[in-house]
Amino acid sequence: MSAGHSHEDSRLCGESAAPYVLGALSDDEHEAFRRHLDSCAVCREEVAALQVVASALPAAAPQLSAPPALKRRVMASVHEDVRRSATREAVGSDERGEPDESARSSWRASRARPRWRPMLASAALAVAVAAIAAIAVFSGGGGGTRVIRAEVTPHGASASLRVSGDHAQLDISGLPQTPAQRVYEVWVKRSGGPQPTDALFTVTAHGDATVGVPGSVHGVKVVMVTSEPLGGSRVPTSAPVIVAHVS
Amino acid sequence: MIQWPARAVTMGGMFNPLRPGGGSGSANRLRVLADEELMQLVYRSKADAFEVIYDRHADAAFSLAYRICAQRALAEDVVQEAFLSLWRSRARYDRNRGSVRTWLLGIVHNRAIDALRRRAVRDRGQVRDEGLQERVAAPERTDLDVARREEAREIRDALDDLPDEQSHVIELAFFGGMTHVQIASMLDMPVGTVKGRMRLGLAKMRMTLGDPAEMVR
Repeated sequence: MSAGHSHEDSRLCGESAAPYVLGALSDDEHEAFRRHLDSCAVCREEVAALQVVASALPAAAPQLSAPPALKRRVMASVHEDVRRSATREAVGSDERGEPDESARSSWRASRARPRWRPMLASAALAVAVAAIAAIAVFSGGGGGTRVIRAEVTPHGASASLRVSGDHAQLDISGLPQTPAQRVYEVWVKRSGGPQPTDALFTVTAHGDATVGVPGSVHGVKVVMVTSEPLGGSRVPTSAPVIVAHVS
Repeated sequence: MIQWPARAVTMGGMFNPLRPGGGSGSANRLRVLADEELMQLVYRSKADAFEVIYDRHADAAFSLAYRICAQRALAEDVVQEAFLSLWRSRARYDRNRGSVRTWLLGIVHNRAIDALRRRAVRDRGQVRDEGLQERVAAPERTDLDVARREEAREIRDALDDLPDEQSHVIELAFFGGMTHVQIASMLDMPVGTVKGRMRLGLAKMRMTLGDPAEMVR
């Protein structure tokens, strides 16, 4: 701690660098610690040391392919911006073709503080309640949770569907790895044929996976899993390996 | 320690990115430029240079957004917003403040956490796809992709090698968007303990990884 710190500075010193770089301080705490950094070389050094690790954490996420359609949308917007900029240049409003001031503001905003900070206070309790509720529901199997044992084709594998309210989660174990260039896909059946979901997954080396069924399962009669080509399919291309009858 | 492979570099004398008109085949030549050089072209509203930036970092951006949001559509929205933010605020890019990749992933992280919290408020009690294992794995297209995959594996290993109580609080904060107070409340432990575990975990990862600053460029 550097000399001349207030009592509050002393309280902040040495404790808040890690939650600061992880974005885990509240809005007020974040601002207080940021001010503290102006006067505390020790904390500045600690933040610098920990920040490089925090900056590497995104790579710890499982590495996926961005959907090709996403690039088309992004680049369409970019080309539209270029076209508009060219139109403005033609009428002399933006002769150098540089980004406008609103864009500069956008950069400053994104560099300064996350947009979610102002809503943090009201969101904090809700997030905690939601997280605790989810844990409570699934830890004991009671409290309105229904566990349905699924029919599983591969020998030695098992799966169950946990239904809580309108939502469901598949707990899978012992399922064989998908071949290269294939993934498992979750489907739901209501009155018609199987409908694809966003849930594409592979399993661990032990064949385990925990997969949330996207959206509401209200009216869903069957949840099933098939092996599909990378990127998923709109209609099943193989026989289901897991079938769970919801109703 | 991981040795990050040489970044794309300008090939001396072959192509001056700042010279008007790159000549034929400039799209391919753009791909040998480093991000910082591409950003000079992006500043001048060169969409093809921005496309190279997109191609280079879209998978990492989507992976991070998906890890946080656990919902494909939401993750796509986050990544789209982040890249358009990068494009529209290109005049403010300052290479001295960090790499393009780090800056982009920072935007993605902030926006994904933002989206996650909005959804948590709107859909309280809804079960997330949390716990999903590897999803559609990105194919390795280039040597750089292979190196980045290796980098990702080492960083994930470093996180996984931490004691559970340390990796848990780091993941809840960074990927779960929870504050240290929320984590302490959820895990029923003192706030100081949560902070301490975060610090110990990050410090341990830094020792394991050597100099991660070299890895995230």
